[in-house]
Amino acid sequence: MAPRWKWKGAEAKALAEPISKSVSELQLSLAKTESTGSLSSCNVLLAVEPEQAELLDRCCFGRLVLSAEKVKKWIQLSFEEAFYLLYILKCIKLSRQGRFLESEVEIWMYMRTKRPNFPVFFKAYSHLRSKNWVLRSGLQYGVDFVAYRHHPSLVHSEYSVLVQSGDSDRLRVWSDVHCAVRLSGSVAKTLLALHVSGNSNREDLNLPTCLGNYRVEEQTISRWSPELSREDDETTSPKPKVTNVSNLKTP
Amino acid sequence: MNCITPIRLNPVGFRSVFINHYCLIRFNIKHKKPHEKAHPSSSLGSLSAAHQLFDELRQRVCKTEVLMEEENWEASSSSETEEPGFAADDDEEFHSGPKLQFRVGSSKARWVTELGMAEVEVKRGKLWTTTGIIRSGKTYCFIEEALYLSEIGELQILGNEDVVIPLKGLYEMVTEEKSGCCWESYEVYRYLKGLGYILGRHGVPWTSKGAAIMTPSGEGEDSVTKLLGDMQLCDAREVFDVYLPNSRFKKSSPGEPSFVACLSGDSPPSKEDVRVLQSRIAAPLRFCHIAQGRVSFFSFSSINLPILP
Repeated sequence: MAPRWKWKGAEAKALAEPISKSVSELQLSLAKTESTGSLSSCNVLLAVEPEQAELLDRCCFGRLVLSAEKVKKWIQLSFEEAFYLLYILKCIKLSRQGRFLESEVEIWMYMRTKRPNFPVFFKAYSHLRSKNWVLRSGLQYGVDFVAYRHHPSLVHSEYSVLVQSGDSDRLRVWSDVHCAVRLSGSVAKTLLALHVSGNSNREDLNLPTCLGNYRVEEQTISRWSPELSREDDETTSPKPKVTNVSNLKTP
Repeated sequence: MNCITPIRLNPVGFRSVFINHYCLIRFNIKHKKPHEKAHPSSSLGSLSAAHQLFDELRQRVCKTEVLMEEENWEASSSSETEEPGFAADDDEEFHSGPKLQFRVGSSKARWVTELGMAEVEVKRGKLWTTTGIIRSGKTYCFIEEALYLSEIGELQILGNEDVVIPLKGLYEMVTEEKSGCCWESYEVYRYLKGLGYILGRHGVPWTSKGAAIMTPSGEGEDSVTKLLGDMQLCDAREVFDVYLPNSRFKKSSPGEPSFVACLSGDSPPSKEDVRVLQSRIAAPLRFCHIAQGRVSFFSFSSINLPILP
């Protein structure tokens, strides 16, 4: 599926401001101010300057917590987002209950206890993030993430992402496949399964270094309709049922 | 407002729309301003006005549903109007359901138990350009081909003592799974053939110049033996080579199939299953899920998302 840009100048704008560049800027800015987020049982709250909030939004990290305060902005980060900024980009620090957390291992273990599938999910998240894809929560679409080629204001997301690991029981029956594909199709996305494998030894998962032992394989799952493809279908993917995006007006 | 002649409105759909719109009108009437007393004549008036409004809405709904039905039909039958070159006999393969017109079987074939195939003795119609394999100048067809043609009234299969094998007998041969085709495979075959696609068993050449027909165990490396042998395994396996509808299809040079239809049994194929199959088949794979007489096709394709700037 080709990317569907939301308005006429969107593609050019995206080319002029690549995600990697925005991420670098964000990284520098946060590191300079030694931004520290506070870790809770389900997310991380990060206090930032307004300009940093804008940078975070440009790279699609976190959600702004709306408040009347003008001086500082509060951003709510998921575990994946926070750990990515901490461990991969190394531009934030974390504290918990007022105590500054020195050890990445300690943070990793904490996140793991709160969410047992965190290692696999984080690997999937960082796999696509490091390729400069923008990832957001896929909850609205019944999936784990949605992947955008650039900022959501410029482009529609192409993939709805489901994370699969060796022992997961997702998409194990046909009705799950029908359901996931249908959901994705109805919002004009391709279903992307990320198969995360490796680290069969439970003990290894105690250290974030186990991430290096994981392998991620990408697989699209799509449905083909024989009625619609009899003419001359060169591709294997079905014709997507998309609304005509050329009619969308510039925001 | 003109009412379009409705065609094939889904009765259930219509009823639900009917109820929705009726409730809408009821709601509007109930919420009249309090000072407007319910006067018999005015309430009657408003009720008839409501009926009139309702009729209008109903007609509009009819029109919309009709247009939607027309669009769906156009989408599904478009290839019929755009392929004038297609042989007249094969047109019947496009139709399904109540529109199917059966001809009394004009082709004849004889079932040869040792081969697990029928040898065609009388050929009528152009359908044989896309059905059956050729060995030493003779045409043979597998059980799914024989059954399908029998179902649509194009073929009669002769058994012992020249007695025509009835459909019941052919169905039994499929369900017994002794002729290399299980019921799920047959559903796939019938569904795609009905839409005009051309199907052949994977691994079985359409023609084999100079070679005599061999017993199933000798025919090809994997194909028939594998199909017969793997029946009980329910692992992912390739079943049919599928070609797009093509009036110029030639068995002597069929070209590459559009895709290979695979079955993976009760559950979707694992990543490993897909990898193994794809490693030995060049064509795209599509996995079939058969349930309640419906066939769905899914692709599980390995990709590598690009690194973006």
